[in-house]
Formats: sequence, C-alpha cells, structure tokens
Amino acid sequence: MNRTMKSIIFATTLVIAVMAGAVPSVAEDVEKVFKFYCAQCHGESGDGKGINVTEDFPVTPRAFNNAAEMNKLTDADLRNVIHEGGPIASKSEMMPPWGKTLSDEDIDNLVIKLRALCQCKGKQG
Amino acid sequence: MKTFMSLITGLALTGFMAGNALADAAAGKAAFEANKCAECHYTQGPAQEKTIDDVWAKKGPELWYAGSKFNADWLGAWLADPKPIRLLAFNSLSDPNPGDHPKLAAGDAVSVKDFLMSLTAAEVEAGSVKAKKNPKGKLIFTKKMPCSGCHQYPDKSGNRGGKSGPSLVEAGLRLNPDWILAYLQHPAVFKPVKDMPNFVGILSDKDMINVSRHIASFKP
Ligand code: HEC
Ligand code: HEC
Ligand code: HEC
Repeated sequence: MNRTMKSIIFATTLVIAVMAGAVPSVAEDVEKVFKFYCAQCHGESGDGKGINVTEDFPVTPRAFNNAAEMNKLTDADLRNVIHEGGPIASKSEMMPPWGKTLSDEDIDNLVIKLRALCQCKGKQG
Repeated sequence: MKTFMSLITGLALTGFMAGNALADAAAGKAAFEANKCAECHYTQGPAQEKTIDDVWAKKGPELWYAGSKFNADWLGAWLADPKPIRLLAFNSLSDPNPGDHPKLAAGDAVSVKDFLMSLTAAEVEAGSVKAKKNPKGKLIFTKKMPCSGCHQYPDKSGNRGGKSGPSLVEAGLRLNPDWILAYLQHPAVFKPVKDMPNFVGILSDKDMINVSRHIASFKP
C-alpha cells in the first residue's frame, strides 16, 4: 500500500472515530481538565474534599497532596485507574472510569499534574 | 350519512386542535424571545459546545431537545413556578443554586411550554424505557457505578447523594424515560463536553435501560 493511501485510510478512521463521539482526540489544558472533571470529588486543590464528598459519600477520594499514599502508586497505576475507574485497582467504584471521556493525552497530562500536586515521583516500575 | 358527518367533524376537530397547538408554539416562541430566555438558552440544535471553555461560557442549559427531555406537565408547572433543579449555581462547584430563575405568567408558561415541547431530537425513541422499579438498575446506580456520587436521589431515609450533577430526586416527574436512555447512549449528540463520564462501552445497552428505568421511578 502506498503512503498516500495509508494516510487517507488513517485520516478516514480518525474522522469516523471522532464522529462516533468515542473519545475526544484533542487534548485540553490540563488545569482546565482537572478543574472540570476531577475537582468535583478531589477538590480544586487536590485535597480530596470536593463538593460531592458529603456524609453520604462512602469513601474519601484520594488526597493528591498525600505524598506517602501517592508514592505507593506507579505512573502506570495512575493512568490505569483514571482510565478504568476504582474497581480495576480494587478501589471504590465511586472513582469513575474516564477512558471513554478523556483522550490518552489528557490522561497522561493528568498524571503529570498529580505528580506535581504530591511533589512525589511515585513507585518506580 | 351520519357516520360520514361525524367523520368530517372529527377530522375538522383534529385539524383545528393541531392548528391550535401550532399557533400556541408560535406564540410561545414569541414569548420566549420577548422574555429574553434566549440570553441564557439556545434552542437550535445540534450541540454547540466543543471545549470546556464553551461549557463554562454558558449561562443556562441548552433547550434544543426540550420536547424530548421533559414531561410536558412538569415543564408547564415549572415555567410558572421554577424551583431549583441543580443544587449548585450553574457551572459552579461551590455556590448554592440561588433559586432566582425567571418566572413566566400563567398564559406565557402554557405557550412557552408548547414551543419547547415542539423541539425534539431524533435519537430519542418513544417507548424504549418504561418507568419501573428495577433492582438491577438500582444496583448500578448506587453500587456498581459512581452515579450516586454526583447525583441526589430519593431514598427511604430522605434525599442523598452528590451535588455536582443535576438532582434526580424528581426525575420521574421531570424527565421523559426514553430521553434518559438516549442521553446515556448518545453523549456526543446531547453533551459532547460534560463533567459526567461517558458510559458507552462501559454499560451495556441492557444496563443502560435498567438504570434509566430506575431513574425514571424516582419521585420525591
Ligand atoms: C465521583 C467522584 C470522583 C471523581 C469525579 C474523580 N474521582 Fe478519583 N477517586 C474518587 C474516590 C472516591 C477515590 C478513592 C477510592 C478508594 O480509595 O477506594 C478516588 C481515587 C483516585 C485515585 C487513586 C487511586 C488509588 O489507587 O489510590 C486517582 C489517581 C484518581 N482518583 C484520579 C482521578 C482523576 C485524575 C480524576 C479526574 C479525571 C478523578 N479521579 C475524578 C472519586 C472521584
Ligand atoms: C440569566 C439566565 C437565564 C435566563 C434569562 C433564563 N434561564 Fe432558564 N435556566 C437558567 C439556569 C441557570 C437554569 C438551571 C436552573 C436549575 O438547575 O435550577 C435554567 C433552567 C431552565 C430550564 C430547565 C432546563 C434543564 O435542562 O434543567 C428551562 C426549561 C428553562 N430554564 C427555561 C427558561 C425560559 C422559558 C426562560 C425565559 C422565561 C428562561 N429559562 C430564562 C438560566 C436562565
Ligand atoms: C462525576 C460526576 C457524575 C457521575 C459519576 C455521573 N453523573 Fe450524571 N451528570 C453529571 C453532571 C455534571 C450532569 C449535567 C451535565 C450537563 O448538563 O452539562 C449529569 C447529567 C445526568 C443526567 C441528565 C440530568 C438532567 O436533568 O439533565 C442523567 C439522567 C444522568 N446524569 C445520569 C447518570 C447515571 C445513570 C450515572 C451513572 C451511570 C451518572 N449520571 C453518573 C455528573 C455525573
């Protein structure tokens, strides 16, 4: 298959994927992404005290400024739990799956943002 | 001959009634504009939001599929006497809903309701969801999925749940059950950008029906 042909197929697939509304392909500014999607539970400063955390909330969302806890997780762990939701890491289902909502690039940027919040590198692995 | 006559009368009556609803919708559109509703609500689809900034710039929810989303009786009553739906002020994660939505005079409320009920979306399939207590849907809503983390819902011990999403306490009175399913199935049509996760590919169609039925059974 020649180059042009390949890129046409690639472009068409991309257009179809975008039209199907599967996953947005354009990454947004990570500060906005965090505030829009995560702050409602994890708090705007990442302290785990978002507006949804009332006395009805069964678990405390992870405080991202807790370096001790955040250091137990690798970057791959973070990526995985953001993508698939709490149950993939044997955590609460109150942590939603974002893989059908956010692009991979958005999730990668969030991992960097969480590492800035905990000021920690995480478990290496 | 008698049958024929009543057939004619019947037909004429139907035509008259249909014409009337159209007239009301037209009057409602005029009242919608006169009352400056369009300053905060757009009524022409498709969805316009492409980025988070687009969502934050909005002053009120889009209404271009209002006729598919709402129960007509609820809508007419709400327009004349609006009560808070979201717990928080629009687009805020801290301020309570001020509860200051503009109110319409009784006559305008009826015609604006007719106008809004004429705005429908093709993706909503009539009769796809019957409101009914549904144990599977309940399990999804409260246990398997994080729905209750962001939405208030009625429980034996009172209303409970999160605050960032619209309250679903009155969902059984407010929402068309078929729309709830369409909303879950077609996020790109109704809410291309939103702070609720997309569940397509996470919940099966069957489970989307189950949870829609459960939500449609909510009454205060
Ligand atoms: C509906 C509330 C809610 C939202 C919204 C939410 N989370 Fe969570 N998150 C939680 C809860 C609750 C936990 C803790 C689960 C537990 O400890 O069992 C959690 C845990 C986590 C963890 C730690 C998992 C672990 O293994 O310790 C990460 C990382 C995380 N969330 C990232 C995010 C990101 C990034 C976003 C935004 C895209 C987000 N969350 C949005 C509720 C939420
Ligand atoms: C200043 C902005 C503003 C104006 C003007 C305004 N609205 Fe609203 N409208 C809102 C907000 C904000 C909400 C959400 C209210 C809530 O959740 O309690 C809302 C909610 C609604 C809803 C329910 C929509 C939904 O999805 O929950 C309808 C219907 C509605 N408005 C109709 C009207 C009509 C008709 C008018 C004109 C009389 C009007 N609005 C004028 C801001 C406005
Ligand atoms: C992270 C928070 C969050 C989670 C989790 C969540 N929602 Fe939502 N939901 C929202 C928000 C926010 C909106 C309003 C979006 C908008 O209008 O921009 C919404 C809107 C809705 C609506 C439309 C309500 C209306 O009046 O417009 C329904 C129905 C709904 N959600 C059902 C569900 C179901 C079912 C689940 C679980 C499978 C769920 N939600 C999980 C935040 C959430």
